[in-house]
Amino acid sequence: MPAHRLISLAEAVRRYTRDGMQYASGAALPIGSDAIVFGRELLRQRRSKLHAIFHCNSQQLNLLAAAGAVDKAECGFSGLEVFGFANGLRRAVESGQTALEDYSNLAMALRLLGGALNWPFVPATVNIGSDIQHRSAFAPEDYPSTTKIPTVTDPFSGREIGAFSPLRPELAAIHVSLADPQGNAIMLGSEWSRFELSRAAGKVILIADAIVDGACMLQFPNLVRIPDILVEAVVYHPFAAWPQSSPGWYDADEAHMLHMNQALATAEGTAQYLNEFVYGVNSLDDYLARIGDDVRARLSATATGFLLDPFRQWIKTPEQVAALLAHTPETHA
Amino acid sequence: MSELPYTRQEMMAIAAGRELRDGELAIFGVGLSMLAGYFAQAHHAPRLRSMTEGGVYGATPVGGLPWGIECNRLSANATSFTHALDALGFLVASGRCDVGIIGAAQVDKFGNVNTTGIWQDGLGEHYRAPDTRLTGAGGANDIACGAGRVVIMVSHEAKRFAERVDYISSPGYLEGGNARARHGFVGGGPSAIVTTLGVLRPEPDSKEFVLTGYYPFSSVAEIQAHTGWALRVAADVQEIAPPSSAELAALRRVDVTGALRKPAKHGK
Repeated sequence: MPAHRLISLAEAVRRYTRDGMQYASGAALPIGSDAIVFGRELLRQRRSKLHAIFHCNSQQLNLLAAAGAVDKAECGFSGLEVFGFANGLRRAVESGQTALEDYSNLAMALRLLGGALNWPFVPATVNIGSDIQHRSAFAPEDYPSTTKIPTVTDPFSGREIGAFSPLRPELAAIHVSLADPQGNAIMLGSEWSRFELSRAAGKVILIADAIVDGACMLQFPNLVRIPDILVEAVVYHPFAAWPQSSPGWYDADEAHMLHMNQALATAEGTAQYLNEFVYGVNSLDDYLARIGDDVRARLSATATGFLLDPFRQWIKTPEQVAALLAHTPETHA
Repeated sequence: MSELPYTRQEMMAIAAGRELRDGELAIFGVGLSMLAGYFAQAHHAPRLRSMTEGGVYGATPVGGLPWGIECNRLSANATSFTHALDALGFLVASGRCDVGIIGAAQVDKFGNVNTTGIWQDGLGEHYRAPDTRLTGAGGANDIACGAGRVVIMVSHEAKRFAERVDYISSPGYLEGGNARARHGFVGGGPSAIVTTLGVLRPEPDSKEFVLTGYYPFSSVAEIQAHTGWALRVAADVQEIAPPSSAELAALRRVDVTGALRKPAKHGK
């Protein structure tokens, strides 16, 4: 067992990503938990031609697509809920830059479950009979599609149902509320499909809002839904889901959600946003400074803060995490 | 119109909330449908068991309309957090969920819902990028397939009420009649389309939606003029009661930030 699995965000992207890869993010919720900083770093390192597997669109996919880094995407919901359409993704889809294959939210979870269990297919009792089954953005000529959600016969009842293809993304960057240095993780709020995703993905990187001592996991083993044996690396990154929310830690930054989405609606706005909030950001401290002290204080005063109370005694300070990181031989390579 | 003591959006939310009964297991979509659901709970259905598709159980919104199904405004007082497979799968696809509320960008006369895209001249034989990309099906397809019945909430504009939707994101009665039976859906299909102008319900056999109710501020003629197909009128069409003061008070307790009191947006 390694001393710990903590590495920097930049190192995680350098080591585990490549152009054209099938990349999944979790939770991939449109206004809640998602490993958005991982997407920002993918762009800083100019990764491109990604095949994005996102349970739902989030500001991460919105940004990646707006920047032209996504060739293919598979999604359930593809908007930003009450914040409206995802302008960056929308622009990429309408222009043909990104081929977006539509599924429902249950379908995405089931396909990850199928991948996790190494099933050949998953029986589909939803999405059938609608254009989600009949239309394929990945195979546009195939109509009605015979390959996206093929019709199969239930061998027991004789009834015609569909078959979902399992998902086994090459890499998943999963946002979690708390991780220990080994990679055991606790998620607060809706887990969405992170449990299945952590088992379906070839490799898993955790992006944690905070690092806790391993003793925390020994106290709450039932809450550790992602154990360290599944995890390659842990990235410590406060406000990792900003401008989205992280239950217990911070609320959604409503002003920045709107500002960002408005910027992503045009190529010019996207370039400006990238310069200010992606390319120009050179450290965690710089990132936090750009969010702003006042804004972070306001977002942190969340009504969900009490959710963290049971865990506070084990949360490591930024200095303690930095000390651990300093003793990682790989980061000096 | 501006003299009404409530907005059209509020009337729609209250009319949709009236579709929910005490004790039912209900799943709410995002936005206005969530307000309608929590309104019902706050007013006439205190034992309504609610969840969002993220697997957030037992919560009531704090601080106004939640920005999403996973919003901290709901996470602040939930009794259980699970996951999508649980809420949309174990509790909806299983057939356990009594009723769901979903929204629509476009709906047709058989209650099929499009939230995926608009193609100006129709989609045609081969898939192509939409002229206007919408939000995708989300969990609405799963609710439309699995919930015992579904209430569709939609702003009443002609372009949204199409003879045929450009793309079926979430199935209503498909081509009508018993077309749903071909797919063996565990859910019964949409029981009502509740709009900013009135309420439509499906005829028992054809499953074509007909007008069954208009509001004190709308009329049959106005509704027909804002419907993109030749909307038929039920023999027993009637005026729907305006919001009672208790209903309006309950709705506004849920809608703290006044999302339903802002001027309605027309078009996208």
